[in-house]
Amino acid sequence: MLQLDQLSRRRAGRPAVQNLSLLLQRGQVLGLLGVNGAGKSTTLSMIAGALRPDSGSIQLNGADFLEQPELARQLIGWLPERAPLWPELTVSEHLDAHGHLRGLHGAALKQARTAIIDRLELQPLARRLAGVLSQGQRQRLGLACALLHKPALLVLDEPANALDPVQVAALRTLIREQAAAGTAVILSTHLLTEVTAVCDRVAILHEGTLRQDGVVHSDDHAALERTFFEIAMSGTTHAARAA
Amino acid sequence: MSPVFVSPFAVTRLEWRRLLVRPLAWVLAALTLAWLAWNFTLLLGNFLAGQIQRAALPDGPGFVDLVAVPLLAQLAQLAFMVVPLITMSVLAGERRNGTLPLLFAAGVPASRIVLGKYLAVLGWLLLWLALTLAMPLALMHATHFDWGKLASATLGLVLMLAALGALGVACSAFASHPAIAAAAALVIALALWGVNLGAQMAGINDGAINWLAMSTHLQSLLRGLVSTTDIVWFVLLIVLALALATQRLVADKERG
Repeated sequence: MLQLDQLSRRRAGRPAVQNLSLLLQRGQVLGLLGVNGAGKSTTLSMIAGALRPDSGSIQLNGADFLEQPELARQLIGWLPERAPLWPELTVSEHLDAHGHLRGLHGAALKQARTAIIDRLELQPLARRLAGVLSQGQRQRLGLACALLHKPALLVLDEPANALDPVQVAALRTLIREQAAAGTAVILSTHLLTEVTAVCDRVAILHEGTLRQDGVVHSDDHAALERTFFEIAMSGTTHAARAA
Repeated sequence: MSPVFVSPFAVTRLEWRRLLVRPLAWVLAALTLAWLAWNFTLLLGNFLAGQIQRAALPDGPGFVDLVAVPLLAQLAQLAFMVVPLITMSVLAGERRNGTLPLLFAAGVPASRIVLGKYLAVLGWLLLWLALTLAMPLALMHATHFDWGKLASATLGLVLMLAALGALGVACSAFASHPAIAAAAALVIALALWGVNLGAQMAGINDGAINWLAMSTHLQSLLRGLVSTTDIVWFVLLIVLALALATQRLVADKERG
Protein backbone atom coordinates (compact mmCIF):
# COMPACT_ATOMS: atom_id res chain seq x y z
CA MET A 1 0.00 0.00 0.00
CA LEU A 2 2.60 2.56 1.11
CA GLN A 3 6.31 2.29 0.61
CA LEU A 4 8.79 4.94 1.69
CA ASP A 5 12.26 4.53 0.30
CA GLN A 6 15.23 6.52 1.61
CA LEU A 7 13.07 9.56 2.31
CA SER A 8 15.00 12.65 3.45
CA ARG A 9 14.03 16.22 4.14
CA ARG A 10 15.85 19.19 5.66
CA ARG A 11 13.94 21.87 7.57
CA ALA A 12 15.26 25.12 9.03
CA GLY A 13 18.77 24.19 7.90
CA ARG A 14 18.95 20.82 9.67
CA PRO A 15 17.98 17.32 8.62
CA ALA A 16 14.42 16.71 9.87
CA VAL A 17 14.10 13.24 8.31
CA GLN A 18 17.00 11.15 7.04
CA ASN A 19 16.91 8.06 4.82
CA LEU A 20 13.57 6.84 6.15
CA SER A 21 12.32 3.59 4.65
CA LEU A 22 9.01 2.04 5.67
CA LEU A 23 6.45 -0.36 4.31
CA LEU A 24 2.77 -0.33 5.27
CA GLN A 25 0.21 -2.92 4.18
CA ARG A 26 -3.56 -2.54 3.75
CA GLY A 27 -5.41 -2.85 7.05
CA GLN A 28 -2.30 -2.19 9.13
CA VAL A 29 -2.13 0.49 11.82
CA LEU A 30 1.36 1.91 12.21
CA GLY A 31 2.21 4.09 15.19
CA LEU A 32 4.92 6.64 14.61
CA LEU A 33 6.51 7.35 17.97
CA GLY A 34 9.09 9.94 18.88
CA VAL A 35 9.87 12.85 21.14
CA ASN A 36 9.07 16.39 19.99
CA GLY A 37 11.20 17.30 16.97
CA ALA A 38 11.88 13.68 16.07
CA GLY A 39 10.55 14.23 12.52
CA LYS A 40 7.09 12.68 12.88
CA SER A 41 5.08 15.62 11.51
CA THR A 42 7.57 16.20 8.68
CA THR A 43 7.26 12.53 7.70
CA LEU A 44 3.46 12.66 7.76
CA SER A 45 3.38 15.93 5.79
CA MET A 46 5.48 14.29 3.08
CA ILE A 47 3.25 11.21 3.00
CA ALA A 48 0.15 13.43 2.83
CA GLY A 49 1.58 15.35 -0.14
CA ALA A 50 1.82 18.70 1.64
CA LEU A 51 5.62 18.73 1.69
CA ARG A 52 8.03 17.58 -0.99
CA PRO A 53 10.93 15.40 0.13
CA ASP A 54 14.49 16.45 -0.76
CA SER A 55 15.26 12.90 -1.84
CA GLY A 56 13.80 9.41 -1.77
CA SER A 57 10.54 8.09 -3.09
CA ILE A 58 6.98 7.44 -1.92
CA GLN A 59 5.04 4.65 -3.60
CA LEU A 60 1.29 4.42 -3.18
CA ASN A 61 -0.32 1.26 -4.53
CA GLY A 62 2.79 0.82 -6.67
CA ALA A 63 2.61 4.30 -8.25
CA ASP A 64 5.17 7.03 -7.67
CA PHE A 65 3.31 9.53 -5.57
CA LEU A 66 5.82 12.33 -6.22
CA GLU A 67 5.28 11.98 -9.98
CA GLN A 68 1.49 11.81 -9.58
CA PRO A 69 0.53 14.13 -6.72
CA GLU A 70 -3.15 13.79 -7.67
CA LEU A 71 -2.97 10.28 -6.15
CA ALA A 72 -3.01 11.94 -2.74
CA ARG A 73 -6.40 13.43 -3.57
CA GLN A 74 -7.92 10.01 -4.08
CA LEU A 75 -6.02 7.74 -1.75
CA ILE A 76 -5.02 9.75 1.30
CA GLY A 77 -6.98 11.29 4.14
CA TRP A 78 -4.87 13.58 6.32
CA LEU A 79 -5.53 15.06 9.72
CA PRO A 80 -2.69 17.50 10.43
CA GLU A 81 -1.72 18.46 13.96
CA ARG A 82 -4.25 20.91 15.52
CA ALA A 83 -6.78 20.32 12.71
CA PRO A 84 -6.50 23.50 10.58
CA LEU A 85 -9.94 24.86 9.61
CA TRP A 86 -11.51 27.86 7.90
CA PRO A 87 -13.07 29.71 10.85
CA GLU A 88 -15.77 31.42 8.75
CA LEU A 89 -17.21 28.17 7.34
CA THR A 90 -19.65 25.86 9.08
CA VAL A 91 -18.98 22.19 9.80
CA SER A 92 -21.17 21.19 6.88
CA GLU A 93 -19.45 23.65 4.53
CA HIS A 94 -16.07 22.26 5.54
CA LEU A 95 -17.15 18.79 4.51
CA ASP A 96 -18.46 20.13 1.20
CA ALA A 97 -15.21 22.01 0.54
CA HIS A 98 -13.09 18.95 1.30
CA GLY A 99 -15.41 16.83 -0.84
CA HIS A 100 -15.03 19.18 -3.83
CA LEU A 101 -11.25 19.23 -3.40
CA ARG A 102 -11.22 15.42 -3.36
CA GLY A 103 -13.41 15.08 -6.42
CA LEU A 104 -16.76 14.32 -4.75
CA HIS A 105 -19.84 15.99 -6.24
CA GLY A 106 -23.62 15.91 -6.13
CA ALA A 107 -25.31 12.85 -4.68
CA ALA A 108 -22.00 11.11 -3.88
CA LEU A 109 -20.88 14.07 -1.82
CA LYS A 110 -24.21 14.35 -0.03
CA GLN A 111 -24.15 10.66 0.81
CA ALA A 112 -20.54 10.78 2.05
CA ARG A 113 -21.26 13.90 4.12
CA THR A 114 -24.33 12.39 5.77
CA ALA A 115 -22.48 9.17 6.54
CA ILE A 116 -19.50 10.84 8.16
CA ILE A 117 -21.66 13.30 10.11
CA ASP A 118 -23.62 10.34 11.50
CA ARG A 119 -20.52 8.27 12.22
CA LEU A 120 -18.72 11.06 14.11
CA GLU A 121 -21.91 12.37 15.73
CA LEU A 122 -21.51 15.83 14.26
CA GLN A 123 -25.24 16.47 13.65
CA PRO A 124 -25.61 19.04 16.46
CA LEU A 125 -22.60 20.94 15.12
CA ALA A 126 -23.42 20.76 11.40
CA ARG A 127 -24.48 24.42 11.11
CA ARG A 128 -21.98 25.78 13.60
CA LEU A 129 -19.02 27.90 12.45
CA ALA A 130 -15.65 26.19 12.78
CA GLY A 131 -14.27 29.30 14.47
CA VAL A 132 -16.42 28.73 17.57
CA LEU A 133 -15.79 24.99 17.98
CA SER A 134 -13.93 23.65 21.01
CA GLN A 135 -10.54 22.03 20.40
CA GLY A 136 -12.03 18.55 20.70
CA GLN A 137 -14.83 19.41 18.25
CA ARG A 138 -12.28 20.85 15.81
CA GLN A 139 -10.34 17.61 16.03
CA ARG A 140 -13.49 15.60 15.25
CA LEU A 141 -14.27 17.83 12.28
CA GLY A 142 -10.69 17.44 11.02
CA LEU A 143 -11.08 13.70 11.29
CA ALA A 144 -14.40 13.83 9.42
CA CYS A 145 -12.74 15.81 6.60
CA ALA A 146 -9.93 13.24 6.43
CA LEU A 147 -12.36 10.31 6.24
CA LEU A 148 -14.97 11.87 3.94
CA HIS A 149 -13.71 10.41 0.66
CA LYS A 150 -13.04 6.93 2.13
CA PRO A 151 -9.27 7.06 1.71
CA ALA A 152 -7.15 3.95 1.33
CA LEU A 153 -4.49 5.48 3.58
CA LEU A 154 -5.34 7.51 6.66
CA VAL A 155 -2.60 9.80 7.98
CA LEU A 156 -3.26 11.11 11.49
CA ASP A 157 -0.94 13.54 13.24
CA GLU A 158 -1.52 13.46 17.01
CA PRO A 159 -5.23 12.60 16.54
CA ALA A 160 -5.95 12.24 20.26
CA ASN A 161 -4.87 15.83 20.99
CA ALA A 162 -7.53 17.71 23.00
CA LEU A 163 -9.95 14.78 23.05
CA ASP A 164 -11.55 13.74 26.33
CA PRO A 165 -11.25 10.09 27.48
CA VAL A 166 -14.62 9.16 25.97
CA GLN A 167 -13.64 10.69 22.64
CA VAL A 168 -10.24 8.97 22.77
CA ALA A 169 -11.99 5.61 23.21
CA ALA A 170 -14.29 6.45 20.27
CA LEU A 171 -11.27 7.43 18.16
CA ARG A 172 -9.56 4.11 18.90
CA THR A 173 -12.72 2.23 17.86
CA LEU A 174 -12.88 4.27 14.67
CA ILE A 175 -9.24 3.56 13.80
CA ARG A 176 -9.72 -0.17 14.35
CA GLU A 177 -12.90 -0.06 12.24
CA GLN A 178 -11.02 1.63 9.41
CA ALA A 179 -8.23 -0.93 9.59
CA ALA A 180 -10.75 -3.79 9.58
CA ALA A 181 -12.24 -2.29 6.40
CA GLY A 182 -8.80 -2.46 4.74
CA THR A 183 -7.63 1.11 5.27
CA ALA A 184 -3.96 1.50 6.12
CA VAL A 185 -3.53 3.89 9.02
CA ILE A 186 -0.42 5.73 10.08
CA LEU A 187 -0.64 7.83 13.22
CA SER A 188 1.95 9.85 15.03
CA THR A 189 1.87 10.25 18.77
CA HIS A 190 4.13 10.63 21.75
CA LEU A 191 1.72 8.63 23.93
CA LEU A 192 2.86 5.05 24.33
CA THR A 193 -0.60 3.98 25.54
CA GLU A 194 -2.05 5.15 22.23
CA VAL A 195 0.32 2.86 20.35
CA THR A 196 -0.31 -0.23 22.45
CA ALA A 197 -4.08 0.39 22.31
CA VAL A 198 -4.56 0.65 18.54
CA CYS A 199 -1.40 -0.09 16.56
CA ASP A 200 -0.23 -3.32 14.97
CA ARG A 201 3.25 -1.94 14.38
CA VAL A 202 5.38 0.78 15.83
CA ALA A 203 8.14 2.81 14.24
CA ILE A 204 10.26 4.93 16.56
CA LEU A 205 11.82 8.02 15.04
CA HIS A 206 14.60 9.89 16.74
CA GLU A 207 16.50 12.88 15.37
CA GLY A 208 14.98 12.22 11.96
CA THR A 209 16.08 8.60 11.64
CA LEU A 210 14.17 5.37 12.09
CA ARG A 211 15.52 3.63 15.17
CA GLN A 212 12.98 0.84 15.62
CA ASP A 213 10.31 -0.81 13.48
CA GLY A 214 8.48 -3.76 14.96
CA VAL A 215 5.24 -5.45 15.90
CA VAL A 216 3.28 -4.12 18.87
CA HIS A 217 2.02 -6.50 21.55
CA SER A 218 -0.81 -4.90 23.47
CA ASP A 219 0.22 -6.63 26.72
CA ASP A 220 3.85 -5.53 26.44
CA HIS A 221 3.60 -1.88 27.31
CA ALA A 222 6.62 -2.03 29.62
CA ALA A 223 8.91 -3.38 26.88
CA LEU A 224 7.81 -0.64 24.46
CA GLU A 225 8.37 2.00 27.12
CA ARG A 226 11.86 0.64 27.85
CA THR A 227 12.79 0.64 24.16
CA PHE A 228 11.40 4.12 23.64
CA PHE A 229 13.31 5.62 26.57
CA GLU A 230 16.53 3.85 25.59
CA ILE A 231 16.30 5.39 22.12
CA ALA A 232 15.30 8.82 23.40
CA MET A 233 18.05 8.88 26.05
CA SER A 234 20.71 7.54 23.68
CA GLY A 235 20.09 10.52 21.42
CA THR A 236 20.34 12.88 24.36
CA THR A 237 23.61 11.27 25.46
CA HIS A 238 25.03 11.62 21.94
CA ALA A 239 24.00 15.26 21.83
CA ALA A 240 25.50 15.91 25.26
CA ARG A 241 28.77 14.22 24.21
CA ALA A 242 28.88 16.24 21.00
CA ALA A 243 28.36 19.44 22.98
CA MET B 1 -6.89 3.54 -10.86
CA SER B 2 -8.83 6.09 -12.87
CA PRO B 3 -8.23 9.67 -11.75
CA VAL B 4 -11.18 11.43 -10.10
CA PHE B 5 -12.45 14.63 -11.66
CA VAL B 6 -11.86 17.70 -9.57
CA SER B 7 -13.52 20.87 -10.78
CA PRO B 8 -10.97 23.55 -11.70
CA PHE B 9 -13.27 25.89 -9.80
CA ALA B 10 -13.15 23.97 -6.48
CA VAL B 11 -10.81 26.58 -4.95
CA THR B 12 -12.85 29.41 -6.51
CA ARG B 13 -16.01 28.02 -4.95
CA LEU B 14 -14.34 27.69 -1.55
CA GLU B 15 -12.94 31.23 -1.67
CA TRP B 16 -16.23 32.66 -2.95
CA ARG B 17 -18.07 31.04 -0.04
CA ARG B 18 -15.52 32.46 2.41
CA LEU B 19 -15.92 35.93 0.86
CA LEU B 20 -19.70 35.80 1.09
CA VAL B 21 -19.81 34.87 4.77
CA ARG B 22 -17.13 37.35 5.83
CA PRO B 23 -18.77 40.48 7.29
CA LEU B 24 -15.96 42.67 5.96
CA ALA B 25 -16.99 42.05 2.35
CA TRP B 26 -20.63 42.95 3.06
CA VAL B 27 -19.74 46.03 5.09
CA LEU B 28 -17.38 47.27 2.39
CA ALA B 29 -19.96 46.64 -0.33
CA ALA B 30 -22.73 48.38 1.64
CA LEU B 31 -20.65 51.43 2.60
CA THR B 32 -19.09 51.99 -0.80
CA LEU B 33 -22.33 51.48 -2.72
CA ALA B 34 -24.13 53.89 -0.38
CA TRP B 35 -21.36 56.46 -0.97
CA LEU B 36 -21.52 55.93 -4.74
CA ALA B 37 -25.32 56.16 -4.74
CA TRP B 38 -25.13 59.47 -2.88
CA ASN B 39 -22.58 60.78 -5.36
CA PHE B 40 -24.69 59.53 -8.24
CA THR B 41 -27.62 61.65 -7.06
CA LEU B 42 -25.33 64.70 -6.77
CA LEU B 43 -23.89 64.13 -10.25
CA LEU B 44 -27.38 63.62 -11.63
CA GLY B 45 -28.60 66.80 -9.94
CA ASN B 46 -25.76 68.79 -11.50
CA PHE B 47 -26.43 67.21 -14.88
CA LEU B 48 -30.10 68.14 -14.77
CA ALA B 49 -29.32 71.67 -13.57
CA GLY B 50 -27.01 72.31 -16.52
CA GLN B 51 -29.20 70.70 -19.16
CA ILE B 52 -30.59 73.96 -20.59
CA GLN B 53 -27.13 75.55 -21.08
CA ARG B 54 -25.80 72.38 -22.71
CA ALA B 55 -28.73 72.24 -25.12
CA ALA B 56 -27.12 75.18 -26.95
CA LEU B 57 -23.92 73.18 -27.55
CA PRO B 58 -24.25 70.75 -30.45
CA ASP B 59 -21.36 68.49 -29.31
CA GLY B 60 -21.56 69.20 -25.60
CA PRO B 61 -20.91 66.55 -22.95
CA GLY B 62 -23.76 64.13 -22.32
CA PHE B 63 -25.04 61.94 -19.53
CA VAL B 64 -22.19 59.43 -19.84
CA ASP B 65 -19.52 62.19 -19.71
CA LEU B 66 -21.04 64.03 -16.77
CA VAL B 67 -22.60 61.26 -14.68
CA ALA B 68 -21.55 57.71 -15.62
CA VAL B 69 -17.81 58.24 -16.18
CA PRO B 70 -17.30 60.45 -13.07
CA LEU B 71 -19.15 57.80 -11.05
CA LEU B 72 -16.83 55.10 -12.40
CA ALA B 73 -13.84 57.34 -11.64
CA GLN B 74 -15.02 57.48 -8.01
CA LEU B 75 -15.28 53.71 -7.96
CA ALA B 76 -11.69 53.58 -9.21
CA GLN B 77 -10.60 55.78 -6.28
CA LEU B 78 -12.47 53.59 -3.78
CA ALA B 79 -10.90 50.49 -5.32
CA PHE B 80 -7.49 51.49 -3.97
CA MET B 81 -8.86 50.96 -0.44
CA VAL B 82 -11.43 48.22 -1.07
CA VAL B 83 -9.41 45.77 -3.18
CA PRO B 84 -6.54 45.36 -0.66
CA LEU B 85 -9.10 44.74 2.11
CA ILE B 86 -10.88 42.10 0.03
CA THR B 87 -7.70 40.34 -1.08
CA MET B 88 -5.63 40.57 2.09
CA SER B 89 -6.80 37.24 3.57
CA VAL B 90 -6.98 35.10 0.46
CA LEU B 91 -3.55 33.54 0.93
CA ALA B 92 -2.09 35.23 4.04
CA GLY B 93 -5.22 34.10 5.92
CA GLU B 94 -4.79 30.52 4.67
CA ARG B 95 -1.20 30.61 5.87
CA ARG B 96 -2.24 31.89 9.30
CA ASN B 97 -5.03 29.29 9.62
CA GLY B 98 -2.61 26.54 8.56
CA THR B 99 -5.05 25.52 5.81
CA LEU B 100 -2.68 26.03 2.87
CA PRO B 101 -1.11 22.54 3.33
CA LEU B 102 -4.62 21.06 3.09
CA LEU B 103 -4.90 22.45 -0.44
CA PHE B 104 -1.44 21.14 -1.34
CA ALA B 105 -2.31 17.74 0.12
CA ALA B 106 -5.45 17.62 -2.03
CA GLY B 107 -3.14 17.66 -5.05
CA VAL B 108 -4.19 21.17 -6.13
CA PRO B 109 -1.27 22.80 -8.00
CA ALA B 110 -0.08 26.20 -6.74
CA SER B 111 -1.12 27.84 -10.02
CA ARG B 112 -4.69 26.55 -9.59
CA ILE B 113 -4.84 27.73 -5.97
CA VAL B 114 -3.77 31.24 -7.03
CA LEU B 115 -6.04 31.31 -10.08
CA GLY B 116 -8.99 29.92 -8.10
CA LYS B 117 -8.68 32.54 -5.42
CA TYR B 118 -8.12 35.28 -7.98
CA LEU B 119 -11.30 34.33 -9.87
CA ALA B 120 -13.33 34.46 -6.65
CA VAL B 121 -11.98 37.93 -5.84
CA LEU B 122 -12.55 39.04 -9.43
CA GLY B 123 -16.13 37.79 -9.24
CA TRP B 124 -16.78 39.91 -6.14
CA LEU B 125 -15.16 42.98 -7.74
CA LEU B 126 -17.14 42.59 -10.97
CA LEU B 127 -20.35 42.29 -8.96
CA TRP B 128 -19.39 45.49 -7.17
CA LEU B 129 -18.78 47.19 -10.53
CA ALA B 130 -22.06 45.84 -11.94
CA LEU B 131 -24.06 47.24 -9.01
CA THR B 132 -22.40 50.62 -9.51
CA LEU B 133 -23.07 50.55 -13.25
CA ALA B 134 -26.72 49.71 -12.56
CA MET B 135 -27.21 53.27 -11.24
CA PRO B 136 -26.57 55.13 -14.54
CA LEU B 137 -28.00 52.23 -16.57
CA ALA B 138 -31.30 52.61 -14.74
CA LEU B 139 -31.74 55.87 -16.69
CA MET B 140 -30.83 54.49 -20.12
CA HIS B 141 -34.35 54.99 -21.47
CA ALA B 142 -34.64 58.50 -20.08
CA THR B 143 -31.55 60.05 -21.63
CA HIS B 144 -29.19 59.79 -24.60
CA PHE B 145 -26.47 57.24 -23.94
CA ASP B 146 -23.02 57.24 -25.55
CA TRP B 147 -22.67 53.46 -25.41
CA GLY B 148 -19.18 53.44 -26.92
CA LYS B 149 -17.78 55.75 -24.29
CA LEU B 150 -19.52 53.86 -21.48
CA ALA B 151 -18.18 50.54 -22.80
CA SER B 152 -14.66 51.94 -22.97
CA ALA B 153 -14.85 53.32 -19.41
CA THR B 154 -16.31 50.03 -18.17
CA LEU B 155 -13.49 48.11 -19.86
CA GLY B 156 -11.02 50.41 -18.14
CA LEU B 157 -12.60 49.73 -14.75
CA VAL B 158 -12.73 45.97 -15.37
CA LEU B 159 -9.03 45.98 -16.26
CA MET B 160 -8.12 48.18 -13.32
CA LEU B 161 -10.06 46.06 -10.81
CA ALA B 162 -8.57 42.90 -12.32
CA ALA B 163 -5.05 44.36 -12.02
CA LEU B 164 -5.56 45.57 -8.44
CA GLY B 165 -7.07 42.19 -7.55
CA ALA B 166 -4.05 40.35 -8.95
CA LEU B 167 -1.72 42.73 -7.11
CA GLY B 168 -3.65 42.11 -3.88
CA VAL B 169 -3.49 38.32 -4.31
CA ALA B 170 0.27 38.57 -4.92
CA CYS B 171 0.78 40.69 -1.79
CA SER B 172 -1.34 38.22 0.18
CA ALA B 173 0.87 35.38 -1.11
CA PHE B 174 4.01 37.09 0.13
CA ALA B 175 2.76 38.50 3.46
CA SER B 176 2.67 36.58 6.71
CA HIS B 177 -0.24 38.66 8.05
CA PRO B 178 -3.34 39.91 6.18
CA ALA B 179 -2.86 43.50 7.46
CA ILE B 180 0.65 43.58 5.99
CA ALA B 181 -0.75 42.27 2.71
CA ALA B 182 -3.38 45.05 2.63
CA ALA B 183 -0.83 47.76 3.42
CA ALA B 184 1.61 46.45 0.80
CA ALA B 185 -1.11 46.21 -1.86
CA LEU B 186 -2.24 49.79 -1.14
CA VAL B 187 1.29 51.22 -1.28
CA ILE B 188 2.23 49.36 -4.47
CA ALA B 189 -1.06 50.30 -6.17
CA LEU B 190 -0.62 53.98 -5.26
CA ALA B 191 3.00 53.87 -6.43
CA LEU B 192 1.91 52.34 -9.75
CA TRP B 193 -0.80 54.96 -10.11
CA GLY B 194 1.41 57.96 -9.51
CA VAL B 195 4.83 56.79 -10.63
CA ASN B 196 4.84 59.53 -13.28
CA LEU B 197 3.71 62.40 -11.04
CA GLY B 198 7.22 63.82 -10.74
CA ALA B 199 7.75 63.62 -14.50
CA GLN B 200 4.43 65.34 -15.17
CA MET B 201 5.27 68.13 -12.72
CA ALA B 202 8.52 68.60 -14.63
CA GLY B 203 6.49 68.93 -17.83
CA ILE B 204 7.35 65.51 -19.27
CA ASN B 205 4.13 64.06 -20.65
CA ASP B 206 5.61 61.34 -22.77
CA GLY B 207 8.16 58.60 -22.36
CA ALA B 208 8.63 55.34 -20.49
CA ILE B 209 7.83 56.70 -17.03
CA ASN B 210 4.36 57.74 -18.18
CA TRP B 211 3.85 54.35 -19.80
CA LEU B 212 4.59 52.72 -16.44
CA ALA B 213 1.85 54.64 -14.63
CA MET B 214 -1.58 53.05 -14.24
CA SER B 215 -3.22 56.48 -14.41
CA THR B 216 -2.05 56.96 -18.02
CA HIS B 217 -3.79 53.79 -19.17
CA LEU B 218 -6.99 54.15 -17.18
CA GLN B 219 -7.54 57.80 -18.07
CA SER B 220 -7.43 57.17 -21.80
CA LEU B 221 -9.98 54.36 -21.40
CA LEU B 222 -12.21 56.63 -19.30
CA ARG B 223 -12.03 59.20 -22.10
CA GLY B 224 -13.32 56.58 -24.52
CA LEU B 225 -10.01 55.77 -26.19
CA VAL B 226 -9.40 52.03 -26.38
CA SER B 227 -5.88 51.14 -27.39
CA THR B 228 -4.07 47.81 -27.41
CA THR B 229 -1.18 49.36 -25.46
CA ASP B 230 -3.43 50.13 -22.52
CA ILE B 231 -5.00 46.68 -22.52
CA VAL B 232 -1.59 45.01 -22.79
CA TRP B 233 -0.30 47.07 -19.84
CA PHE B 234 -3.08 45.80 -17.58
CA VAL B 235 -2.79 42.21 -18.83
CA LEU B 236 0.98 42.25 -18.24
CA LEU B 237 0.48 43.47 -14.68
CA ILE B 238 -2.13 40.75 -14.00
CA VAL B 239 0.04 37.98 -15.44
CA LEU B 240 3.14 39.18 -13.60
CA ALA B 241 1.34 39.46 -10.24
CA LEU B 242 -0.30 36.02 -10.55
CA ALA B 243 2.98 34.44 -11.67
CA LEU B 244 4.77 35.91 -8.64
CA ALA B 245 2.01 34.66 -6.31
CA THR B 246 2.27 31.17 -7.85
CA GLN B 247 6.05 31.17 -7.46
CA ARG B 248 5.66 32.11 -3.81
CA LEU B 249 3.22 29.25 -3.17
CA VAL B 250 5.54 26.79 -4.92
CA ALA B 251 8.34 28.01 -2.65
CA ASP B 252 6.02 27.63 0.37
CA LYS B 253 5.35 24.03 -0.53
CA GLU B 254 9.06 23.35 -1.08
CA ARG B 255 10.00 25.01 2.21
CA GLY B 256 7.17 23.41 4.18
